[in-house]
Amino acid sequence: MHSTIVRAQNVFGFFTTVAFIIAALIAGSDLIAPRTPSASVLVKDVQVVRGRPHYYSSKKEEYAHIRFSLSADFSSLFTWNTKQIFVYVSAAWPNSTSSELVNEAVIWDTIITSPSADHLLTLGPAAMKKLLKSSQGKSIDPSRGKIELKNQKPKYQITSPTGKLAETDGVVLKVHYNVQPWVGVLTWTPQMEFGKWEKLKGGESKAFQLPALKPKKSNSANKS
Amino acid sequence: MLSALQNPRHAATQLLNFGLILSTAFMMWKGLSVIADSPSPIVVVLSGSMEPAFLRGDLLFLWNRNIFEETKVGEIVVYNVKGRDIPIVHRVVRKFGVGEEAKLLTKGDANVADDTELFARGQDYLQREDIIGSVVGFIPFVGYVTILLSEHPWLKTVMLGIMGLVVVLQRE
Repeated sequence: MHSTIVRAQNVFGFFTTVAFIIAALIAGSDLIAPRTPSASVLVKDVQVVRGRPHYYSSKKEEYAHIRFSLSADFSSLFTWNTKQIFVYVSAAWPNSTSSELVNEAVIWDTIITSPSADHLLTLGPAAMKKLLKSSQGKSIDPSRGKIELKNQKPKYQITSPTGKLAETDGVVLKVHYNVQPWVGVLTWTPQMEFGKWEKLKGGESKAFQLPALKPKKSNSANKS
Repeated sequence: MLSALQNPRHAATQLLNFGLILSTAFMMWKGLSVIADSPSPIVVVLSGSMEPAFLRGDLLFLWNRNIFEETKVGEIVVYNVKGRDIPIVHRVVRKFGVGEEAKLLTKGDANVADDTELFARGQDYLQREDIIGSVVGFIPFVGYVTILLSEHPWLKTVMLGIMGLVVVLQRE
């Protein structure tokens, strides 16, 4: 049968097969690109204060503000198949019953797009122009993925379900990343060496203790 | 007379072929579902709350087994809010405790606030059982056709019409 419809079907079928195989090859090429990320994180200033989860809540919880410094190089994670990497710093701490770090909460995160995905960001026109200019003519920008933060304020104040956090001991800051490809498999900080993908060098702070509750000065404002 | 006998045979073969295609697709979907241990191993992204990682129409492959380790902070999970049937794709940002009882909190990368507002009344955290899978694989854009079909229902009619027309024309 050589009708138009059969021909159209064949063309479409061939197109999908080729597209699928090319996508699979691109996804597979991730494995031959070496990954050698490194990071070092330092705890700077820690405070625990009492606060409410939101304005209308009468519940009082303890919130930890952890300031930190981060120096990291994730530039090796950017390949032609990288859409973005998501870098996050989390605080992890043990329970009263076990010494394992069973609690973990993200205190800071950032999205670093590959130059090929810059247009997807929701930035102001000026910031977008600057970003596009920084990688003009480069499909992979070697300066992407380098992070230098000094005494960074956390994005998220963390608490625990019990509302108690002061004087928790054995808290550790950890740096993680998540590579988002254009097509293929999503990857996170590897637990072990995997082919050409090395483990994250460093990326964990020394264990520290959260301080006692900071005495609140302005108690007159909220009587409830 | 011979043609009259052959025609129903031809029709029956076509019907059988059609049934075969349908059941193959269905069994592949169900097979994948068993392998991934997820009621819906492939999902289409419906909102922009994970931009720029996931855009609307992107296809996600889910994995719902914890063979080596538990679902942990940083993973992107798909969950159903209690009492609602819309799956949400967001990242786990907090985890308290271990095992089935662990309390999980999620947040969309593009959202300012975490998902506490999205949860059901009285629900402060997710549990492992609310999650129908973690995202492991990604194919961009190919799911967009399902969004088009659900947003513009007349497209379904048009497609059915075209298919019917093709069948009629092919008979000629």
